[in-house]
Amino acid sequence: MKRKSFLQFSAPSLLLMLALLAFPMLMTLWLSVCNCTPQMALVTVQQTGPFGATTVTTQRAKVDATGRALLDCSFVGLNFYRNILGMDKSNANGNETSPTKQGSAGDGYNEFIGALRFTLLYTILTTPFILVGGLAMALAMNHVTHRLKGLFIAASLLPFIITPVVGALSIKWLFRDDGLVPYLLQQVGIQVFWMAQAWSAQLLVIFYGIWHVMPFAFIVFYAGLQGVPQDSLEAARLDGASRWQQFRYVTLPHLASLLVFVTLIHLMDAYRVFEPVLVLTRGAFTTSVQYLTYAVLLEENNAYKASAAAILTLIGIGVLLIPLLRRTWREQRGSD
Amino acid sequence: MRRRNLLQAALSSGLASGVMPSNATEPLCRKAGLQARLELVANSFPVMQHLAKIATGCNGGDLQVNFKLTPRVKYEVETAFASAGKSPFDAAVVSAGVFSDLYARSQIYPLTDLVRKYGARYQLEERMLVRMDGEVMAIAFMQNTQNLYYRRDLFERHRIAIPATYDQMLQAAKLLRVKEPGIANPIAQTFAQGWDLATEFTNLLFSMGGRFFIPGSAEPAFHSSEGVSTVALMRSLLPYMSPNALSSNSDDVMNQLQQGRAAMGVLWASRAARMDDPSASRVIGLIDFAAAPAARLGGTSAAHLWWDGVVLPRNGPAQREATFQVLMEMLSADSVAAGNDLTIWVRGNYKPGRTGVGVELAMAGGAKTWPAEPFFTLAHAQVGKVLADAIKGIRDPAQALAGAAASYRLAAIEKGYIREGHA
Repeated sequence: MKRKSFLQFSAPSLLLMLALLAFPMLMTLWLSVCNCTPQMALVTVQQTGPFGATTVTTQRAKVDATGRALLDCSFVGLNFYRNILGMDKSNANGNETSPTKQGSAGDGYNEFIGALRFTLLYTILTTPFILVGGLAMALAMNHVTHRLKGLFIAASLLPFIITPVVGALSIKWLFRDDGLVPYLLQQVGIQVFWMAQAWSAQLLVIFYGIWHVMPFAFIVFYAGLQGVPQDSLEAARLDGASRWQQFRYVTLPHLASLLVFVTLIHLMDAYRVFEPVLVLTRGAFTTSVQYLTYAVLLEENNAYKASAAAILTLIGIGVLLIPLLRRTWREQRGSD
Repeated sequence: MRRRNLLQAALSSGLASGVMPSNATEPLCRKAGLQARLELVANSFPVMQHLAKIATGCNGGDLQVNFKLTPRVKYEVETAFASAGKSPFDAAVVSAGVFSDLYARSQIYPLTDLVRKYGARYQLEERMLVRMDGEVMAIAFMQNTQNLYYRRDLFERHRIAIPATYDQMLQAAKLLRVKEPGIANPIAQTFAQGWDLATEFTNLLFSMGGRFFIPGSAEPAFHSSEGVSTVALMRSLLPYMSPNALSSNSDDVMNQLQQGRAAMGVLWASRAARMDDPSASRVIGLIDFAAAPAARLGGTSAAHLWWDGVVLPRNGPAQREATFQVLMEMLSADSVAAGNDLTIWVRGNYKPGRTGVGVELAMAGGAKTWPAEPFFTLAHAQVGKVLADAIKGIRDPAQALAGAAASYRLAAIEKGYIREGHA
């Protein structure tokens, strides 16, 4: 292809990628090393309202002639990264803020490490279940009679089609006090309060992850199965291969690239687990890296620090994907 | 048949949204001939839906009002009002907590001139006006607090006095568990990790005699002996609550009370009317209300007083007059009368029924207004993160609170409330 034609074909998508991916990412990176705060001053204000009058000593932003708050903006380097990672010892251990003796030490708990631990647990546990379960569903569907396939595929895809928040709410209502699952378990003498302790809350979030994403793996593998060369399978059968051997030596190699694809997509998705944490547990026992970013942005209302948390998430995903990307890159080079 | 149904639906929806022409009941905002396209934002609970319906009823002629209802109103409003350009919202409905933050950052446009101009026409009442050093900064229209909900029938049957302190509440729970085997977990309270749990802590800490900050500064003081006692008190409630309590939000607690699975609990006063909702409650007329118990003998009621009101952004002054008139229509006496049971209104024509006395009870119990320091939300958020583990005993309460204080301090430095050469 001529250079000019190549550029004409690729320029629109390149420009779109620059505008929608590269530019926001660079902006996030820039925000993560900056900070803007209003210039605050101590004030005493008389407030009146529905509950009468009170005098409040508080802080208020200094303003310019037009009434706008005056801001202090500065480059802060990696301070936000250090703070999120708990590396700023002068502030992280509570030594400077101790009205009581026992309150002076802090217990060294690191929120980011806690979030990272559960995020990795979620990623590592859900991935094999999704791959194996999705493949099993696809193989089973391949043997269902043609008339029932449409119905089964639609039903199987339902958890993937509904929005994550609605899906998580459905699971929450099934498992909460007097929900259907605790009720049924109680009928056989098992009483579990799913949100009451770490193991069950974490199990619930992981279960949601498998339930929600397995249909995606299933539909990809099912599509892949339609392309398995029938002549190779027939040749294997003629050579006396068992069903397992046909699967192991013909079907599975054909699906290998799809297995890598589903793993890549799921690793990226799983590392950003957010909705089930927000809806099911609100972070109790199950904080994730993405939930931490959300908390910084919404609760601390600090877009600069949240940008640093987002960049850390991006780095985490990159590290997770390195082995798979290296493998894909080697394969690409091998086929050139 | 189908066409007739569609026509009826179209007519009724048109009437409901105020699109159809009317004469005697035409709202003032439509008579005024306003010319504007207004964007309003509020939280998404029922009373806001009522207000949105009234506000969009002003639509017609050259006036177009769009009303966004979102559960993430705090974030959306704070982002919009802080924007360097024009705010995407012409007005917002905010709680007292969000108001404090916006006011501290000088992001609210004063309303004094508009109140002077239109106050009489819309019969604004003085107690609706939130004044800061005399300047009207918001118009409050609803109020809220936390009350003790209790099963009057059970308390009378077993001759239990209404608990005035948490100690008495625990005694009552102990007795009810024995006397009423059907109620395994007599107490239901909003202990969901995060905002709910931190709010309970706030209520109890102040009642315990503690404070969040060192007076006159943004330095934390909640990791005190009172803070540790508060965590211990919260922990003592757990054995009488559902084991899922640490994920129980207001909906879950309301559900437990409505279904008769709990006999008492502290919950938002605005939820009281739903105890008598025949479509959801099995205990109609059986639940009564009292001031939230005090955390200790002689303490004030462990609750805070809240108001919600409307504010205008400093960075969106172009359509102030039109916006204000639509807001006043929304908060008019007629609007209050039409939605009387939806909340506890501030306006004088509100008729509190059996379930609308919560704020009076709390005020009589000595409850104070919700903390107004702009850095309070930061401390509240950090406390909410550690409490579940501290209450469960996974982390030592004193250590967990000290950790929260350190995290808060760092966040307060990052936001400019504490000056120390960091971030």
